[in-house]
This record gives sequence, C-alpha cells and structure tokens, in this order.
Amino acid sequence: MDMRISLELELKDKPGQLVNALEPISRLGGNIVSVVHIREEIKGERVPVHVIFDVDNHGRLEKILKELEERDVLISKVGEEKKKERISIMLIGHVVDTDLKDTLDRINELGAKVVDLDLEMPHPEKESSAKMNIEISEDIMKKKVFEVIEKIAEEKNLLVIKSLEA
Amino acid sequence: MEELKVQLVGFGVIGQGFAKVLLRKQNMLTEKYGLKIKVVSISDISGTAIDEKGIDLKKALKVMEEKRAIIHYPNAKEIKAIEAIESLDADVVVEATPSNIKTGEPGLSHMLKAMENGKHVVTSNKGPLALKFKELKETAEKNNVEFRFEASVGGAMPIINLARETLPGDKILAIQGILNGTTNYILTRMTKEEIPLDIVLKEAQEMGIAETDPTYDIEGIDTASKLVILANALLGIDVTYKDVKVEGIRRITPEAIRLAKKDNQVIKLIGEVRNSKIEVAPRLVPENHPLNVDGVLNVAMLECDIAGKITIIGKGAGAIETNSAILSDIINIWRNCR
Repeated sequence: MDMRISLELELKDKPGQLVNALEPISRLGGNIVSVVHIREEIKGERVPVHVIFDVDNHGRLEKILKELEERDVLISKVGEEKKKERISIMLIGHVVDTDLKDTLDRINELGAKVVDLDLEMPHPEKESSAKMNIEISEDIMKKKVFEVIEKIAEEKNLLVIKSLEA
Repeated sequence: MEELKVQLVGFGVIGQGFAKVLLRKQNMLTEKYGLKIKVVSISDISGTAIDEKGIDLKKALKVMEEKRAIIHYPNAKEIKAIEAIESLDADVVVEATPSNIKTGEPGLSHMLKAMENGKHVVTSNKGPLALKFKELKETAEKNNVEFRFEASVGGAMPIINLARETLPGDKILAIQGILNGTTNYILTRMTKEEIPLDIVLKEAQEMGIAETDPTYDIEGIDTASKLVILANALLGIDVTYKDVKVEGIRRITPEAIRLAKKDNQVIKLIGEVRNSKIEVAPRLVPENHPLNVDGVLNVAMLECDIAGKITIIGKGAGAIETNSAILSDIINIWRNCR
C-alpha cells in the first residue's frame, strides 16, 4: 500500500536547488503531492521546504533518501503520514434496537473510526437504515472491519450493503 | 445459397421471438451471407411440428396466437422434443424452454441429447448452465459441436462473445454488473419516487416487467445463475449455482435509498465474480459510476488484464432483443463450420 511521506528539507537559497531535490524523488518512483517553501523560516543561507509525496514501498523511500543525501540536500525531518481511506457501509434492520452503541464500539475497537452516522427510522416496528462512513488506515484492517461487520450483521439480523470497491 | 437446418425447442416468448426475428431477417441473411436458416421442427410441451422443407413460421405464430399449442400446426405430431432432437436431421438445436434452477430440466436433457447427436446447441436457458456448465461444455467438446449461450446472460448485451471473440488476448480478471432488468427497474423506481418495494413490484407486474412469481428476480436467483455462467465461460472458474453467496433486494427500503442519495450514491443489485469470490448483493454505487444504469437496462464491467476496464450496457430482456443474441450465435456457428 502507498505510504505518504512528509519531508522537511533545507535547501541552499540558489537557483536550481529545488529541482535538484525533487528530481530524484519522482525519478525513483515517488509521486509528489505538494511542495511548499517556508520562506518565513529561512535559517541562515538555507530555505526550509516541505515536500509531501506518495511512494509504494520502503525500499524506494530508502533509495530516495540516500540520493538526496548524496546531493547535499539537508533533510531535517522525515515523517510518514498514515493514508486514510474512507469506506461507506449501510445497515438495514433493527439497527437501534439491536444496540447501535455495541455495533459502533466493535468497529471502533479495531482501530477503525466511525466518523459519520446517518440514520432513518420510519416507524418503531419497521426496519431502519443506518449509513456509516468509516475511516481506516491500512489494508489489513479493512478486511477485518468487513469481517466484524458481517459477524455483527449475522448476529443482529441486519442486511449489509457494501460499496462497489469493497 | 447455403442452408442451415434448425430445430426450435420451446415455443414461448423467446421461441416465438426467434420465429419473428427470422421472418424479419431472412432477406438480410440471404443477401449479406447467402445463408438460409430453415426451421425444420418446432417443439413445445404439446408436441412437435415437423417440415423438412421448412416450417411456415407465420403459420406457426398464428397457431400459437389462436390455439396456444404447436400441436395444432398442420400435421404436427405428439412426439416430445427429446425424441424430435434424436430422430430428425438438423444442424443446430435452439433450446428456449423455460429456465429451471432446481433441476435444469427439461433443457438440460435437450441440450445433452442434441450434442450427443452431433448437433450444435444455441440457448437462452440459464438453469442447465448454472447447474451443469462443465458437463455441457465437455459433452460439446467430446461430440465436436459448438455450444453457445450468449442469450442466457444479459439478453441482447453481447458480453460473452465480446470477451471471447473480440478480446481473445485478454484475461478476464473480474466482472461486476447488473444482470437483472426487473430488479433494476424496481430499484430505479424506488430511487426516483421514494416508494416502497411492494408497491413498485405490483406496478412492475402489471406492466409485465416482473413475473407473477417474482422470487427468482427479487431474491437474486436470476442474477446468481447468470453470474455462474460468466464465471465458467469467461473466468474459467468451475462453480455452480450452489457456490454463489446470494442476497436479493427484498429488504431494501425507501429510507435506505434516501440515505444513499444524500451521499450521491444509489443502491443496485450487483453480481460480482473474481477468483476469490462469487456474490450477488445490493451495493452502494456512486451516481457517476458507469454501473449506474437505470430502468430495465443491464450493464457489465469486465476487468481485463491488458485492456483494463470495459463496460457494456444493453437491454437485458425482451423477446426480440434476446433473439439478437440467438441469431448471432447461429450465424457464428455457421461461419465457423464453413
């Protein structure tokens, strides 16, 4: 899975320095998302630059960092931002009566986050519908989230409607 | 002029549609291909009309309109389809009896018998394929005849021939699609009008879009059968109807549809096959997604290893439209045999 890397670089305030720093990133397989000069924080002769890029494995990242060092680019900070994915899921049935809090807790327990819940309850005796947006950060977790939801649905007799990519 | 002798088995909606399409297309077939398709027998549950010189299709259709059984065709005999397949001389058997997902019969026996007698088989009948695809395919190979079933999935939508003949260099990795027009019509109406399923269903029954017993459609059984055919024919996965995880649209409510709509999504009954799964279930589909087609339309997205994703949309049912697929299969058989 893609990693999103946040790099803080310090570049000499001379022409050509930015290209010198960015070229190896894209050549070695990084996909540059954003580049910001932080001119207000100029340290001596160097200008801080914040680069964000996606790369698909650690090996590539190591190569990029090595080449930046060889090119005399100062790296002041390397960070990995967890890439978050949002999945939509709908549950139909007696969603509230079957302990909605328990349903949410069991999803949140996995480290996923139910960030949004929209509920329609036509009549106390009729089945209601709940649509959730769940934020997840890794592929493995996604599978687990679906497993737990399927299990909850079976226990509580709920119909699960997954999105197309699920 | 070349002649191709066809036996028609099953003379209901699809079978009569075949007769109508042949009447309409005979001149074109002659002019364009130098081909005459001659129907030498028509069987239904009442018996078999036989004419080696070619059945008068107009007359046969008139008999059905007036008396509703082929036995009233001049000199028709009380012999069963299976005997007609065994005893008469023909090149192709068009099997268009009603689909039976429990036993596959009588279609299954008709198809096997035709193959064993050296006759090519063209069919719109899903049941036998969803249950015994492997056996049918192997029997066809053993007897050196062609087995074609474009009409069994997606009506006029040419998904099987598209994958097999137009994309022979690609590997099909997965298919997602809407393979049942009735449920798609119901969900579309529910989405547009925000009315409950049972009301839309009644309306669909009155319009002839849904059958009196809508179980096959509503519970996803029809979609599952078609998915099995695609899994076998296009992905080479040896599965039968029993392997499919099936959930229909019975529990879909207007409220659920409204919630989806708020997020620019719709709910569709999607069949999906890839090597690890074969499943029919309602799914959330983004409004701007190619699979979001309305009304009775069918749609399928093929994920190919070279071509990437290819989507086709077409009419999934209809007596005339489905016969576009049957006719294509017959013409292709004729071409391959020359």
